[in-house]
Amino acid sequence: MLRFVTGRLIAMVLTMWAVSFVAFAIIQLPPGDYLTTYVATLSANGDRVDPAAIDALRQQYGFGEPYLVQYWKWVSGIVLRGDFGQSFEWKAPVTSLIWGRLGNSILLEGLAVVVMWLVALPIGIYAAVRKYSLGDYLATIGGFIGLAIPNFFFALILMYLSFVWFGETIGGLFSPGMENARWSVERIWDFLSHAWAPILVLSTAGTAELIRILRANLLDELKKPYVTTARAKGLSEMRAILKYPVRVALNPLVSTIGWLLPALVSSSVIVSVVLNLPTAGPLLLRSLTSQDMYLAGAIIMLLGILTVIGTLISDLILAWIDPRIRYGSK
Amino acid sequence: MKQDVLVHRTFKRPGRGLAGAVALAALLAAAAPALAQQQSPILDALVESGELPPVAERLPTNPLVVEPVDSVGTYGGTWRSALRGGLDNAWIARTVAYDGLVRYDREWKEIIPNLAESWEVSEDAKTYTFKLREGLKWNNGKPFTTADIEFAVQLHKEPTYVGPGGFLRNPNNPVELEVVDETTFKFIFEKPNGVLMDELASVNGLTIVSLSKDYCGQFYPPINPKAAEEAKAAGFDTWEAMMLNRCAWATETIRWANPDLPFMNAWMVKEPLTGSATRVTFERNPYYWKVDTEGNQLPYIDNLEMRVSDSVEELTLLALNGQIDFQDRHISTVANQPLFFDGQEAGDYRMGEEIQSSSNTMVIQFNLNHIDAKRRELFQNKDFRIGISHAIDRAEIIDVVFTGQGEPFQVAPRPESPFYNETYAKQYTEFDPALAAQHLEAAGLVKGADGMYTFADGSPLVVTIDTIASLRPEWPDMLELIQLQLEAAGIKLEINNIDRTLYYDKRPIGDYDAQVWGGDGGLDVVQEPRYYMANSPESVWAFRWQAWFNGTTPDIAEEPAPWAKQQMDLYNQLRGEGDPAKRTDLMKQILTIGQENFPVIGVSLPGNTYYIAKNNMRNIPQTMFQAYLFPTPAPYDPFQWYFAAE
Repeated sequence: MLRFVTGRLIAMVLTMWAVSFVAFAIIQLPPGDYLTTYVATLSANGDRVDPAAIDALRQQYGFGEPYLVQYWKWVSGIVLRGDFGQSFEWKAPVTSLIWGRLGNSILLEGLAVVVMWLVALPIGIYAAVRKYSLGDYLATIGGFIGLAIPNFFFALILMYLSFVWFGETIGGLFSPGMENARWSVERIWDFLSHAWAPILVLSTAGTAELIRILRANLLDELKKPYVTTARAKGLSEMRAILKYPVRVALNPLVSTIGWLLPALVSSSVIVSVVLNLPTAGPLLLRSLTSQDMYLAGAIIMLLGILTVIGTLISDLILAWIDPRIRYGSK
Repeated sequence: MKQDVLVHRTFKRPGRGLAGAVALAALLAAAAPALAQQQSPILDALVESGELPPVAERLPTNPLVVEPVDSVGTYGGTWRSALRGGLDNAWIARTVAYDGLVRYDREWKEIIPNLAESWEVSEDAKTYTFKLREGLKWNNGKPFTTADIEFAVQLHKEPTYVGPGGFLRNPNNPVELEVVDETTFKFIFEKPNGVLMDELASVNGLTIVSLSKDYCGQFYPPINPKAAEEAKAAGFDTWEAMMLNRCAWATETIRWANPDLPFMNAWMVKEPLTGSATRVTFERNPYYWKVDTEGNQLPYIDNLEMRVSDSVEELTLLALNGQIDFQDRHISTVANQPLFFDGQEAGDYRMGEEIQSSSNTMVIQFNLNHIDAKRRELFQNKDFRIGISHAIDRAEIIDVVFTGQGEPFQVAPRPESPFYNETYAKQYTEFDPALAAQHLEAAGLVKGADGMYTFADGSPLVVTIDTIASLRPEWPDMLELIQLQLEAAGIKLEINNIDRTLYYDKRPIGDYDAQVWGGDGGLDVVQEPRYYMANSPESVWAFRWQAWFNGTTPDIAEEPAPWAKQQMDLYNQLRGEGDPAKRTDLMKQILTIGQENFPVIGVSLPGNTYYIAKNNMRNIPQTMFQAYLFPTPAPYDPFQWYFAAE
């Protein structure tokens, strides 16, 4: 096990290095750079910028330098000093911008994942065990509806309904005045009274997917002889199902945990914009359109790291959950 | 309604401008001290405890007296509005920041005193002498003097420090600053500068009055030798980076992220606009230097609160729900108009009218400087452009895209402008397929077997128009209709929806058929003549000609056609001309040449837009002009708006 983890850690470092390289390349792919956008905005507003000044800025920001030089400056800053560079648009260090929003993202999306699993597991198991029952059909229909409605659209509908029915504008994660308050029972309540909407939106599609996968896998398992044997030996129905078949059926779910975090961050960008959530998504979107490359690079890089860490976690859980998988020296 | 707007406000004669300003100043000086000066009750306790000096000591010797729009107001309340995302500095500029040396009056006719109580322009329009009010103070109580102006000028002359700078950095007409005393200074230009007062009165004029030497000097190496080291220690690469972050100029977004930065505005930052902020708040500046006609210190409203939201939907719902007290930006779209109209009673708000300064909903700019010789020749042919213009069914577009609002219009001065000319505005706007065909053939196009036009040599003609859907969603809608209409006329059109950066990158390269943009310069004809002549990089229809004219990018410059060159000569004369009547005449000549040569194609005159305001919010005019350079609603003095007790 130790050898496995060590090997994985070394591979992780290499992967992250590759991720950073690709992330930086992607940001530089579009034509122009931040200064083009900046000049464009000023120009559209009727202001003029002296081209000499822009050249001076290009020099200062190092835009004229070859890709590898720029990349090295950026990545060495991160590794050696934890310095992600400056955000051009915010005229501030990137590190001062991302942590709060990334924290919000992880909190919100973590909760969405928990809700998703809590809802999907029992329904999935029930749907498999009581195949073609009314409950199974309801779960199936509900699941497909959840899967079919685009998240941003669902968010819009929720906003509209809550406005029409309750006269409330849902949006954001806190009430005005609560954002900067300290965590307290009151603030947690305020958070939950706002967060239910995005959590509901973010978890619906995923829930449906989980139910379907779990149901299909479990159906395969339930037919296998070891289940029959377990029943024949007098195990309670509950135990007979939960002890092995469910664990086996969870395999494909667990092995994709690694993708969950980044998928949630990226799939929630539009929802975050619609519901005005102070998460990393809108910041990433905005930084990409304005070509604020160090800020965008930092967010993409961190998403990459989340994926890598998530994959490690999923492998470890897999090793623990599935008796057929054995890692280690012997 | 707007007679002689530009004539008066732009080019004051030296004698008259000064006389007028002095007379006004004298009037104010005589009026102000006689009245009992009052202040917002929230400041009373601070004065009693000695934390703040009494209001008389906080005001300058002759505070600016502002005549309220309807009535003298009462103190208190919080004005709630919203920012779209974290980088929407324009809304703050429009509500809080508009306090330059001078400002526009509410009619957009004249330039009136503000921080400067008077000014004098030399006969040759090279020397401008300004006199600041005596006893002005930043919101931290420190004096605002010519030293602060000098600091801003010095900083913007640093080659490594980058701000827009405007006239401070214009390589074609360098400026020197001469400080006479604490309240008097002069700008001395190398060449005549007739447009300076307009630049200073517009939203671009805030740069030079936005930096406190006392505070910002600490980040500047010539004043604080340790500035560079301190910047490094604070996590910035250079002192310039730290300066931009802590001491941003004018209306830069990051300016509102630093509550320590001194301001001269009616409200000052309380909760800053940081990357993760979901609201920004402002509170009254106890040192604000304006009073109403009864001597009450302004502003009336104590606090501002701006929701920071990426979601237009959320903003719209907030407004409908009565949670916004005044706003036009972002929410006042054509699509939302019926929604807001119906919601007035429930939301307890009213709608007011805004006349846009823009002359057109969409300007189609064929690239007269195309790098492909065949296309350049075609696009430069006026008959081609006339043919296209006649092939467009503008009535259909207005009905479908703009719910019937607006009228067919070319890119020409608006009806409210003194430069309005019906021929220019209406020429070639009628939908006439036969006439269109006639002109297209006159341009040398030949109809092929499939009914589509080709070049004279038989090679196929497909025109590609670049657009940016994310900027104006109605552009692709309009273009899709135009595409069908032109196809019926025999011209194949491709719509190329691209990113804004690519849009700009294509311009210097010159490899594009046409691009679209909004109709700037409908009211601000003299300041923004980009579609009447090739004067700025926004004159996309003749990017290489403007490069020749401006001399900033010589590598792509091309000598303009004789008529375009003639316009440039006239504009140069205009810039150096002091006499307003002569300047108007020169501008009219430029417009006549523009009309004859018809460089760009317009679609329709934008209908009026609207603002929404809470019913108890007073002193807001029912009708306003809406422009960028005239930063609505700031010229309507939001600091004299108030909440009526009900």
